[in-house]
Amino acid sequence: MNLITSIFNKGIETSGIERKRISIPSDIPFSPEVIEKLGVDYFHTARGRAIPFGTGLKLGNPDLRVMPVTGDLMTLGGNHFVHGVRRNMELLVICVNNFIYKKIDGKTAPSTANKFSPYSTFEEPFNFPHLGNSCGAVYTARWTALHAEELAASIAEAITKPGLAVIEIIAPGPNYYTDIDDIDENLLKFYFDNSIIKNDTNPREVGITPEDKIIVGRFTDKKRPTFIDVYNVQLGKTIGEKFTPYGVTQTEKKKSGGSDGGN
Amino acid sequence: MAEIRFAGYGGQGIIRSGIIVGKAASIYDNKHGTMSQSFGPEARGGACSSQLVVSDSKVLYPYITVADILVAMSQAGYDKFEAELGDDGLLIFDEDLVEPKSPHGNIKTFAIPATRFAEQLGKKIVANVVILGFFTAITDVVSYEAMKKAIPDSVPEKAIDLNMKAFEHGYNFGLELLKKQKDPQK
Amino acid sequence: MKANPKHVLTGVYYIDGDVASGYGAMAAGCRFIAGYPITPSTEAFEAFCRWGPQVGAMFIQMEDELGSISAVVGAVWSGIKSMTITSGPGYSLMMETIGYGAMLETPFVLLNIQRGGPSTGVPTKTGQADMMQSRWGSHGDYELIAFAPESPQEMFDYTIRAFNLAEKYRCPVMIMSDECVGHMTEKVVIPEADKIDIEPRRFYTGPPEQYLPFKPDPDLVPKMAKAGDGFKLYITGLLHDEKGHPVSNEEYSMKYVKRLVDKIRLNKDKIIELKEENTEDADIVVVSYGISSRVAVKGVEIARQRGIKVGALRLVTVWPFPDEKIAELAKKTKAFVVPEINYGQVVFDVARCVHGQSNIVLVPHGGAGVHNPADIADAIEYAAKTDKQIEGVVEFKTRLEKLVFEGGFKLKE
Repeated sequence: MNLITSIFNKGIETSGIERKRISIPSDIPFSPEVIEKLGVDYFHTARGRAIPFGTGLKLGNPDLRVMPVTGDLMTLGGNHFVHGVRRNMELLVICVNNFIYKKIDGKTAPSTANKFSPYSTFEEPFNFPHLGNSCGAVYTARWTALHAEELAASIAEAITKPGLAVIEIIAPGPNYYTDIDDIDENLLKFYFDNSIIKNDTNPREVGITPEDKIIVGRFTDKKRPTFIDVYNVQLGKTIGEKFTPYGVTQTEKKKSGGSDGGN
Repeated sequence: MAEIRFAGYGGQGIIRSGIIVGKAASIYDNKHGTMSQSFGPEARGGACSSQLVVSDSKVLYPYITVADILVAMSQAGYDKFEAELGDDGLLIFDEDLVEPKSPHGNIKTFAIPATRFAEQLGKKIVANVVILGFFTAITDVVSYEAMKKAIPDSVPEKAIDLNMKAFEHGYNFGLELLKKQKDPQK
Repeated sequence: MKANPKHVLTGVYYIDGDVASGYGAMAAGCRFIAGYPITPSTEAFEAFCRWGPQVGAMFIQMEDELGSISAVVGAVWSGIKSMTITSGPGYSLMMETIGYGAMLETPFVLLNIQRGGPSTGVPTKTGQADMMQSRWGSHGDYELIAFAPESPQEMFDYTIRAFNLAEKYRCPVMIMSDECVGHMTEKVVIPEADKIDIEPRRFYTGPPEQYLPFKPDPDLVPKMAKAGDGFKLYITGLLHDEKGHPVSNEEYSMKYVKRLVDKIRLNKDKIIELKEENTEDADIVVVSYGISSRVAVKGVEIARQRGIKVGALRLVTVWPFPDEKIAELAKKTKAFVVPEINYGQVVFDVARCVHGQSNIVLVPHGGAGVHNPADIADAIEYAAKTDKQIEGVVEFKTRLEKLVFEGGFKLKE
């Protein structure tokens, strides 16, 4: 396993969640070996659709913990992201940011990863934690791939959050998961050296610029009713007794002697 | 086969009227009743209509080609659909809301103050059911018994009594009118 | 297996085609619908939402159709039956993921209530111009199944059938209905649950270590597993081997893509459903589907009154296409008349199978309405009277077309 997937592994381990209950829908190709080691179910989705695919998995079986890992998060998946956060779907969204958008002063590699245009890019980037936070994410954090311990702890913490959590990982290389040779260690080190841990910073202030240090840390940790929570409240109110609350886990169902919801 | 147009404005229960007659015909009279409602801008801007084809065999063409019956509950509805009424058609209308032109061909007209009756019964909203009672008496599209079964199925439970009263009122008014028209003076 | 009585709203209803399809989905055991509202399909979504949650089903209104269909594929892999509902513009947005679903051999149902097109077109009126899109819309090679119901009762019946075939062949199944049928209110009889056959998912039951998610059974369809059961599923839209692992060589591509198409093509006889009437000694055969087949019966009746020997072949399933049936009819039929609410889609598949043996007459319609049965009758009469062999497809000029382009005709006779 490479650096990031080892951190995933550690995070999952620490969370104590049974591995088979975890699903990773992702528009980034993971290697089969990595999935074998992680012991999770993996769905390589169409580009940008990791979040809605994960929404289907979660709503189809609320017992699952779903961790969409996305590369095209804010492009193809942008609308899915803001709506997923708004409705507080129980997902841990891992956003891998490899800076294909902006040149960091003095370093060429991040933007040269963008092979689409020979001119580098010059558009204003998103501030993910801020965007997630303002749409209502219950948890936002950012770490570089070299903040191994912090990132693993963050994953362990966020994967159990009732609601949508966002973790942004600063990491180079568009093909990070399948080919370890692609990692530019100097670049990783550059990010690490140029970052500063500032937990609880207002996400509004953590935008990445070429001039300033990259602020990392946990920025948001709050509670909000999830989609399934509000669904159950609203439908319970309108349908009344005939309504069986959705997403009560199998164990809870057995305890309460509830219905299995059919075939 | 009968091709029927119900026309009025939003809130009068025009679509509901189509559903009630269609249901009475297809479920309780064992005929075939195909109802289509108008959607789109014309359904939202106030004017509202539904079309119903009732037949002894399967309805193959679901829309009105030449209307046999026009039930008009608004002037706009009447103006819009009067032309599609066939020369031997029937025009049924709320006399307080529609002022018909002199009819073309051999069209027979039947007027009822449905909305006024409904108000007297307690609720303006049942005017469509008053006119359905009248419709049942005047035409042979559906049976009285079928309508009496279809109405309670189609209205909120607490409004069943009022609706049945409205239906009977319109029905009796229709029977009376037919009796009067049989008078050789006409 | 029989339907779960809790899911079946047994009774006699007076409902429209959309609602009937929503009830059909429930009866079929659909437990999840994701959709984005679009006229004229919304009533189907509403109908499911009204009753579904009372028996443990879930619905979600997604942010767009891309999200809706992705959520549906996700939900299927969580182990439940799922469906999405849309119309023209939404259908176009779903195309990429239809192919993704086919590649992952994901059983789901898509209800497309076709409306007038192209583009935003006529949202509140009918059309049948998405037929080729349903066959070829997503990139790459794949096969799927498409139904064209003609009444609310069929919307109920064939929604169930669509779910059953989706499970049986592990592929997306399209219900290519249209606004006319979707918004048509008629009597619908929903039978008792024990009268409704349900195809359960083909779940793999052996030890997880030995599971190969894309190893086919003899009928070319692999067994399925679901997330959360410890299979360590590796499922990808990339070309994959039996384990599901990505591969990229031409041998695998041939093997896998061929199986994707063959699992439908070689099981065609079990999938295709046709309704054939008086074709034995017919000079002319009307080939039609969906609402056009219903209106065509009227046209056929008129033509018979004019003394023409005419039969009808109704495509209840449009895809896969009944090549052999058409070819067989072509041997003894003088001409085929194909009414469809477009300017020629399925008619060209008819032509492909007829192979120049009979004349072919298209009765086109520009959408936002259904055919005038008299046009279909006239086209039949024209076909019957035309003795010379005509190359290609003849486009019949309808009354509406004459009215629009030449003026002077009374629209409806």
